[in-house]
Amino acid sequence: MATDAVGSETPTLFLRKATGLVRGWSVRDSIIYACLATNFVTLGLYEFTFAGPAFPNGQMLTAVLISAVWVSFLVVAYAGLIVTIPRAGGDYVWQSRILGSGLGFVMAVTGWWFILWLWAPIYGNILSVQLFQPIWATLKWTWPGGGAAWFGTHTGIFVVTLITIAVAGLLVSLGMGGYARVQKWCFLGGMIGFAVIVILLLVNNHQDFVNSFNQYGQQLFGVHNAYDATNAAAAKAGISTSPFSFGPLGPTMLLVPAMMFFILWPNWGATLYGEIRGASDFRRVFTGMFVGLWITVVCTVIFFLLVDKTIGWGFYQNLNALDYNGAPTFGIWPYPFMFAGWLVHNTAIQVILILVLSLWFFAWVGTLFLSSTRVIFAAAFDRVLPDRAAEVSEKRKVPVYSLMLMLLPAAGLGAVYAYSSTFHNYTLDATLVIAVTYLFSAIAVVLLPFVKPDLWKASPASRIKLFGVPIVPVSGVITIGLLVFNLVEWLYEDNYYVNRHDSLIFMGGMYVLAIVIYVVARIVRRRQGIDLGLINKEIPVE
Amino acid sequence: MKVFFATDIHGSEVCWRKFLNAAAFYKADLIVLGGDVTGKAMVPIVAHHGYWQAVVRGETIRMDSRTELENVEKQIRNQGFYPAVVTQDELQALSAEEGAVDRRFSVEMLHSLDRWLDMADTKLGGGKIPCILNGGNDDFFEIDDLIEASPVASFGEGKALDLDGFHLVSMGWTNPTPWDTFREAPEAELKEKIDAAVRQIPDLERAIFNFHAPPYGTGLDEAPALDENLRPMHGGAVMKPVGSIAVRDAINSYQPMLSVHGHIHESRGVKRMGRTLAINPGSVYGDGVLQGAVLELNAKKGKVTKYLLVNG
Repeated sequence: MATDAVGSETPTLFLRKATGLVRGWSVRDSIIYACLATNFVTLGLYEFTFAGPAFPNGQMLTAVLISAVWVSFLVVAYAGLIVTIPRAGGDYVWQSRILGSGLGFVMAVTGWWFILWLWAPIYGNILSVQLFQPIWATLKWTWPGGGAAWFGTHTGIFVVTLITIAVAGLLVSLGMGGYARVQKWCFLGGMIGFAVIVILLLVNNHQDFVNSFNQYGQQLFGVHNAYDATNAAAAKAGISTSPFSFGPLGPTMLLVPAMMFFILWPNWGATLYGEIRGASDFRRVFTGMFVGLWITVVCTVIFFLLVDKTIGWGFYQNLNALDYNGAPTFGIWPYPFMFAGWLVHNTAIQVILILVLSLWFFAWVGTLFLSSTRVIFAAAFDRVLPDRAAEVSEKRKVPVYSLMLMLLPAAGLGAVYAYSSTFHNYTLDATLVIAVTYLFSAIAVVLLPFVKPDLWKASPASRIKLFGVPIVPVSGVITIGLLVFNLVEWLYEDNYYVNRHDSLIFMGGMYVLAIVIYVVARIVRRRQGIDLGLINKEIPVE
Repeated sequence: MKVFFATDIHGSEVCWRKFLNAAAFYKADLIVLGGDVTGKAMVPIVAHHGYWQAVVRGETIRMDSRTELENVEKQIRNQGFYPAVVTQDELQALSAEEGAVDRRFSVEMLHSLDRWLDMADTKLGGGKIPCILNGGNDDFFEIDDLIEASPVASFGEGKALDLDGFHLVSMGWTNPTPWDTFREAPEAELKEKIDAAVRQIPDLERAIFNFHAPPYGTGLDEAPALDENLRPMHGGAVMKPVGSIAVRDAINSYQPMLSVHGHIHESRGVKRMGRTLAINPGSVYGDGVLQGAVLELNAKKGKVTKYLLVNG
């Protein structure tokens, strides 16, 4: 029996050789996951187009910094949950254990399954505006009818949504092995692409940008003197913008709920940790998520500063506002990285740059359905869903039924998203429903020391203190504050569009569906002589 | 007949206590522990003049009284570790002498299991509730005799135990792992062991396999892919099947009514393999939660009529 000793000078723990003594995944992997989840390029740039014009008196830079500081407390709270109950399944497991099975199920299936149906068309739209439209425009391709602009049509959006669903489904079907390797290369390539953009915006001045913008605006889109034309169109539409600064705080706070669209997800992938846990694990888990989040923030700040220096902050806001009003300067989404690429004056390099930057999309899209299939499996093993939902095909090892439960509704919602004139406004629904799930996990972390005192005392998280106060539950309280603030703003402020009648019905329908599934499952299983109430009922120890 | 099956408690005393209480809690007629009973780690508690000191999950704890010492020992046992009270000299000797830690591990594991079996005697009414225990690949062989000698627990390895018309065969051996543990054998050898055990079963329609290794490629055997340093690759997102081909082939060819497994803690799940219901309830012993399966068996029909995976 071979053994290892753990301890710097004198051993404090002896380990014998035994299966599964895995110490957890590396901080580097965790950082990459967190950075890709809070995807500055795909989600961030997409959201800025909406947020700036919706709240023109606020400052996005300040809003991002406030959001990131606030979300850092969510990172602490989740790190506490992860090291206390380090289970794949995350929110579902924590909430089921601490708050109860029914609540855990409803929050998990709404936040990790149903709402991801909506993320599929959102991602489809992002693929459309950040890859297909700029490539078609740069190469001046005219097929299909309308060229690049076709991808912004109803059918164009729907087709790209179906492509996105197919790509994500295919990646899940192929297995995560190859995809994980691809993901790392995508991250590296995406970062290199961003670095090139930074250099271009850094070494060129504002006049260089105006010149290239005018040149390619004319060459690719036939818009004469595009820079001035954009500003003139904005002025004619009555668009007002604020100069780049840090305040005022009031309107800026209204931007915080909008920023959640990209900044609320540093905790997305951190659910696998070893069995032998110590205080150092908390630091590792926390560091991975925290550094990933702040790399995103640093990228965002650099981007904003360079926009102000080279593109012009007011002009960038005008571009976004015209798109927001449905009259984009070039008829397609104003992709700032495409405009920066025009500074190169070489079509081949411009195309390569767009392709390389699309790696930010492909690095993350495969995980779109992964978490959902895991939740569906967990619910099937708990007998809440039919056994068939967890079946995997013998030959290809594809989770056929769980994928169907994701793909078909996602395709259906993709059609609604593409062809409805208002549904695409509800992108923040996708954030809100997950935020509600997070809220209950934050409540769980606050209640953990009281509901599961033994588990809490045994957790490394209980020993992370500041002035004698355990910081994990306190961070849980601050996280509750963040999420409640966002929920209140989303529901009361019209500009987020989530408080519209049909938006509320859409979200409410998800919760009703989850509750109905759970109640029906309880009744059906009871008739079969199976008590689902036993699933998380704790056996007495004494 | 109602059966409660759990596995891989790895020395967690709180899970053992829950296992003993599971019969009453779930109204089970029989309880089965699938293997990997013993713990993986030992925490030295160093005796100084007038106090003891140990590092538990990264925190240095000083104990000034026997009561405090006992509380910390309990806390360590509940995590699945063995507390070992040693002097400073003994601690140095453990570090320096070849095989000293192994010997101390053996002593602590056997002592702990002996205490556990005494608890079982009280909890299970001196054998009124049948209890079947088996070793797993992480259990050293010395525990076998200790369980065999117990009046309250039956040792399952290699036998066909008659359970009111059902026959249960057990095998704690697994296919090779990167950790080179005690009960590992090549697939061909596993096949021989399984065939030898199955030959003792008079009626395969009512057979139950209790094989520690899950069947290969069934979703009950998905573990994180590891690099050469045994760390999860690619952020732990990449899982791969690590179960036994011999176990899979045996289930496919013999088609028992039920096949219960463990070994891969993170691969909790259920799989239909022809007429066989295969289950791995998984394990989260480190949290003090006893994952298990509550199973209702119908002797007439020769099938599992109900099952539920629980986190007790």
